[in-house]
Amino acid sequence: MKEKKILICDDDHGILEMLEMVLEEDGYQVVVEAKSINALNRIAEESPDLILLDIWMPVITGDQILSQLRADHTKSNIPVLMYSASTDGKLIAEKYGANGFIAKPFDLEDLLHKVSGLLI
Amino acid sequence: MTEDIINRAALTGIDQTLFFRVVESTNTGIVITDNSLPDNPIIYCNPAFEQMSGYKRIDIIGHNCRFLQGKDRKQAARGIVHEAISNGRSCVVEIRNYTKEGKLFWNELYISPVTNDEGVVTHFIGIQNDVSSRKKSQLELERVQIETEKLVIERTKMYQESQDFMTSIVETLRESLLVIDHDFTILSANAHFLNTFKVSINETKGRLLYDLGNGQWNIPELKRMMEDILPTNNPVLDYEVEHEFPHIGKKLMLLNAHRVELEGQYKNWILLAIEDITERRAVQQRKDDFLSIASHELKTPLTTVVGYLQLMKRLMPAEASEKFRSIADKTERYVHRLNHLLSDLLDVSRIQTGNIEIHKEPFDFDKMLIETIEGIRAATPQREILLKGSVECQCNADESHIIQVVSNLLGNAIKYSPDNTPVTVQVTKISDVIKFSVTDKGIGITEADYAKIFDRFYRVAEVQRHYSGMGIGLYICQQIILNHGGTIWVESKRNVGSTFNFTIPIQG
Repeated sequence: MKEKKILICDDDHGILEMLEMVLEEDGYQVVVEAKSINALNRIAEESPDLILLDIWMPVITGDQILSQLRADHTKSNIPVLMYSASTDGKLIAEKYGANGFIAKPFDLEDLLHKVSGLLI
Repeated sequence: MTEDIINRAALTGIDQTLFFRVVESTNTGIVITDNSLPDNPIIYCNPAFEQMSGYKRIDIIGHNCRFLQGKDRKQAARGIVHEAISNGRSCVVEIRNYTKEGKLFWNELYISPVTNDEGVVTHFIGIQNDVSSRKKSQLELERVQIETEKLVIERTKMYQESQDFMTSIVETLRESLLVIDHDFTILSANAHFLNTFKVSINETKGRLLYDLGNGQWNIPELKRMMEDILPTNNPVLDYEVEHEFPHIGKKLMLLNAHRVELEGQYKNWILLAIEDITERRAVQQRKDDFLSIASHELKTPLTTVVGYLQLMKRLMPAEASEKFRSIADKTERYVHRLNHLLSDLLDVSRIQTGNIEIHKEPFDFDKMLIETIEGIRAATPQREILLKGSVECQCNADESHIIQVVSNLLGNAIKYSPDNTPVTVQVTKISDVIKFSVTDKGIGITEADYAKIFDRFYRVAEVQRHYSGMGIGLYICQQIILNHGGTIWVESKRNVGSTFNFTIPIQG
């Protein structure tokens, strides 16, 4: 079976690197994007099976990316798992139609469980 | 002259014996002195004089009248008497005399000279009346008058001093103060008002409040407070008004208004204290922003640490030593605690910015309580946690927030009481509310701290010394409960224990 591709967009390199390592360890192909402004282009280029999206990012926030993504019918069906340190992130995720939300700091079991759930 | 007298006596048809009897019978004291003898001695006194002075006739005859003044010689009246006698004139004086027993009596003394045919003064006649009681009243009156005058001077001075004192208080205040008449005319303004609002006393005193500075105080909110609220709610405290002033910009003011109803001329004056809280509020805002940003920014690297730690445990080689595994576990535990502290800080900043959101959904309160207690028991297996009662109903509230409150109160009970004592949770359904209580046998809280412990960042001094923490847990609990329309309070006794209680409406 072809490796599932996950795109992570987060302005924090530390988190990107950590998540990349965790997910690769679990056997996923991972691409990362640190600039939120490039996110939609990268999604178009990479056609990932799942997007991990931080909410609070400079220039363009996660919810803005998500709403544009949902408006584009060619990509609107890609599952998106959002995450944030603030608990109101969950409400934002629900409001903009994310497929799941996870609070920072992550519980790895929970994260991997949600990721695999969205990739079936 | 003698003939004249004899003729006059004859004309009256009264014999001289009657004259003598009259003099002897009157209750006015009469003495006669002989001016031709040395030292003008008394040659006659009537019984009334004996009665008045307490002396017998034998003690009186042959003496000069001065013995009546005893040792009280320095009387102005004596001078008058002396002068009258020297010049052979009459006089009237009030003189202090003393009875044989030494008792003072005021003598109203009439002295008249008696002359012979050649016009030589041969005798003096003294008519005496005891006017002590009249004199006493008169002296009392004079004393009262003097004292009254003294008192008036003293009171005026005191009034002046207290006026000065009040003025200095008003001028020292670091708060603007206006005294306003019932028709909203400014009666006075203190220096702080003038400085803060950049106006002079001439532009202020005597003007209408709403006309001040070209109508810049014509603020609808202020008008509402002064005209609609104050007449029925006196005083009005902490009334917040925000206003853009033409020269000094936007000001956030906290107003206290007192309607003063003193007797007389001060009727219906209004004291208006204006506190400029613009800067304080801005500082508060910056602090809240800082709290929010700092806790959020700290969460990001913490997320990375937590992730790597968990990955490390997953990748832990099977042959790794117990010590190594234990270090990984401990690190994880402390990172977890750090995360908790940051979550609390984030909660506080959210409450401060009014972003606490309550999402009510019906849940099984008993089940929630049992599960939460189980979780805490697992973390502190050595502690005895007793659960009493049940509510057996669905509760319409934000479950995750209520769990946060229960965990916090239970956590505190465990933290602040000895390990060998039990912690008791009691839950009851009362009318349409659920009451939750947790009781410990810990150090307790003094009554003075009952309300303060719910303030953010407040920590009881003794607790601060012995226990770690930031002093925000109870604040968060209180905010959550208040946002549910409930109440939260503590009952406690020092060194006996504490009971923390909250109630929330069942229907939300």
